[in-house]
Amino acid sequence: MTALRPILLVEDNPADIELTLAALKKAQLANEVVIARDGAEALDYLFSEGRFANREPGLPAVVLLDLKLPKVDGLEVLERVKSHPKYRTTPIVMLTSSREESDVVRSYQYGVNSFVVKPVDFKAFYEAIRDLGMFWAVLNEPVPGELA
Amino acid sequence: MITPPSPGDSSSAPTASAVPVAPTALDQCAQEPIRIPGGIQPHGALGLFRGDELTLVQGSANLGNVLDRAIAFDGTQTLETIVGAYAPLAGDVRRWAASREPGFLEQYVIDRRTFHVAGHRAAQGILLEFEEFDETERGRSATFYQLLREFLDGSDGLKTVAALCTGVAAQMQALTRFNRVMIYRFDEDWNGTVIAEKGDGTLPSYLDLRFPASDIPAQARDLYRLNRLRLIPTAAYTPVPLAPALCPVDGAPLDLSHAALRSVSPVHLEYMRNMGTAASMSISIVIDGKLWGLISCHHAQPRYVGPQIRAACDFLGRIVAQQISARERAAEADERLRLKGLETELVARLARAPGFQAGLVDSATQWLALTNSAGAAVVTDGIVLTAGKAPPIDSILALADWVRARGVDQIYATGMLSAEWEPGRDIAKVASGVIAVPISRIHASFIFWFRPEVVETVTWGGDPRADKATDAAGRLHPRLSFESWKQEVRLCAQPWHTAELMSATDFRSAIINFVLQRAEERAQLSEELQRSNKELEAFSYSISHDLRAPFRHIAGYAELLGEEEPDLKALSRHYLDGITAAALSAGQLVDDLLHFSQLGRTSLKMSRVDMTKIMVEIRRSLETDERQKGVEWDIGSLPPAWGDPTLVRQALFNLVENAVKYSRDSTPPRIRVWGQERSADVIYSVEDNGVGFDMNYANKLFQVFQRLHRQEDYEGTGIGLALTKRIIDRHGGTLEAKGAVGQGATFSFTLPKRQSHPVQATQPLAGGNRDRT
Repeated sequence: MTALRPILLVEDNPADIELTLAALKKAQLANEVVIARDGAEALDYLFSEGRFANREPGLPAVVLLDLKLPKVDGLEVLERVKSHPKYRTTPIVMLTSSREESDVVRSYQYGVNSFVVKPVDFKAFYEAIRDLGMFWAVLNEPVPGELA
Repeated sequence: MITPPSPGDSSSAPTASAVPVAPTALDQCAQEPIRIPGGIQPHGALGLFRGDELTLVQGSANLGNVLDRAIAFDGTQTLETIVGAYAPLAGDVRRWAASREPGFLEQYVIDRRTFHVAGHRAAQGILLEFEEFDETERGRSATFYQLLREFLDGSDGLKTVAALCTGVAAQMQALTRFNRVMIYRFDEDWNGTVIAEKGDGTLPSYLDLRFPASDIPAQARDLYRLNRLRLIPTAAYTPVPLAPALCPVDGAPLDLSHAALRSVSPVHLEYMRNMGTAASMSISIVIDGKLWGLISCHHAQPRYVGPQIRAACDFLGRIVAQQISARERAAEADERLRLKGLETELVARLARAPGFQAGLVDSATQWLALTNSAGAAVVTDGIVLTAGKAPPIDSILALADWVRARGVDQIYATGMLSAEWEPGRDIAKVASGVIAVPISRIHASFIFWFRPEVVETVTWGGDPRADKATDAAGRLHPRLSFESWKQEVRLCAQPWHTAELMSATDFRSAIINFVLQRAEERAQLSEELQRSNKELEAFSYSISHDLRAPFRHIAGYAELLGEEEPDLKALSRHYLDGITAAALSAGQLVDDLLHFSQLGRTSLKMSRVDMTKIMVEIRRSLETDERQKGVEWDIGSLPPAWGDPTLVRQALFNLVENAVKYSRDSTPPRIRVWGQERSADVIYSVEDNGVGFDMNYANKLFQVFQRLHRQEDYEGTGIGLALTKRIIDRHGGTLEAKGAVGQGATFSFTLPKRQSHPVQATQPLAGGNRDRT
């Protein structure tokens, strides 16, 4: 097995970043967590552009993508990634505060892998993050040859 | 009453054989060639002249006798040779013929005798009529101009048409000395009623009698309109034939339409004799080119009236026509003005009303007065509102359908509904007279006015059903009896006046403007509603995102703090738990609120709902709840219903969860759930033996954030029941609660049994509704 692939957390709210990191840490996932603070940064990272032009090659195990983001919003990031032939197999989990039906519907239309409304209860939130991490970063088998 | 014509009597009407024999006597009348009778009356003579030379080509056989000289109808004589070169007549006629003057009337002395010569242009040449001057008139001619002047001076005081007519009858009697002078007025069907009369007692009074339209056939009426004065000095005259019988110019009978001497039909003479009148004269009252009525003069003995008095009578006839017209117009203008005032008042009242329909009912007095009606109704979208004496709702709806089918554009009006619409018989008592104005191009929406049946006794001048008879030889005779015959007229209302019909039409426009304006207002309102819906959407979106996050963070940090500091003092631990609980509760509130607002926006996905299955699921999901342990369940039959399964599940879940919550302190808690099919819906009930509630607060139960219990006793955000209510409302059902403090509560809601159209919120209106399914 090669090195663990990183988890890309796309989130602008510091509290959410902190809580998500705490949850991931509690879940004892060893994957590196890369943080993008807005949609543009996320795209730069994914497509190895801008300040991530010289990053280590390879795609994240999973992208935890907040829906409401500065600059480029989560739905647009999702659409850009999922419509790109090379990157569309990247698992993306929409992790959001929103319960709006229209957001859920559009996310699925764009090919989101799952949609999770962040629970208010921290225990539930922790369980959600843990389960997501376990599934996508550990259990999920990526498409062969994707790393190359 | 004056000129009914004769059948084909070959002796007096040479062309009658060319007229097809009509199957009924009445048709025969209408076919009679009264313009070309082929003869004249003997109190004068007539000649047809042609060309610049005024050559005599045809004339009455008595022309030579009347002028007392030898006359030949062979085209060899001119006007000069007939009247003598010394008379200026021929020169005057030539000058007139070259002018544009329509008629010619002068006096000439021919062989020391004075003649009135009247001329008019006929199709076949110039017709001159000669009548010898009656010397007895000479003395009177000075007085009748005085009479006319007096009448004109006095007529200003005769304000009504009836008073004017009475005055005219008296004036005419004074002028002509006929035994009886009547003013005869036509109705819409050309029946005539004697509305004024002046007599000297020799002949019976016909005042107020009605004469059937068939007494004066259409073509006779037409002649009355063209040639306004007719005199028959004696009904016993022998017609003077024309010589030659057919006009040499075109070989056709001579057109005597405008000839004063024109012979009348034998039927008419017989009619006169039957009536007991030896002489008659009539002057037409023509208003706006339409025959309004007649001034009809009768005499028991033969009576001749000379041309000068006739001219005065004709003059009087014209003046009367103008004065009647002026009075009718003035009366109509007054009425229009009065009705317009009412209309203005009514429209102003409607503008303040919530809807014009309700406004009409509230202003019933003005509504009815607008057309002087006894009843009225407004029909919109199958809803009927009435005022005054109106037919039953069903009849009004049927009437609306019928009027609509007729494709009435502006107005429909009748004074005898049952004659045009058979079912009208059933409502004749209140609605023999109907005005309908459509107020929508698309729907059967109308405003109606009704007038009751007015049973009227009409006295006919003889039985109109037996007005004519044919004898064994097939010859037509006029009716013999002028004995008055009483008829009871039913199913008729007072006729509508022009002013009333115009008032209805004007009001229609006002209402249509009103309806359009309301439609615009509604459109604007719905725009505003959409805007506010959008705002609500944006608001709930931001609630969902921006308000929910901080609560999550508070809960998350409190949890993390607790983990970081496992050795916290008990009190600190308690505070931390409080923070977590508060954050969770606020987060739950946000979730519920969002759910509640979404419910109004999303559409329902309707299908058959298996309530039994749903109840099983609800119990299963409540099993994790500590509180439901020990509950004694009694689940009855739950028939299926029609609805959005997710929402219906939510509604029932909320009620069952409430029942569990509020009965947890009972020993044991008992919860009963059952359904019951009714005609159109199913009613479901959830009953518990819990804390119950005070019925005084029942109406507050379903309001958002209303709680009847203290929050520390029973958790929850207070949205659950409001949400349930909203779900049931959207399904067109009802939600009710019954309860008593300490004795439990029962919540019942209904759902439609099967698929139906969306329930539209309509204002309940008095009057009644049509089942539109």
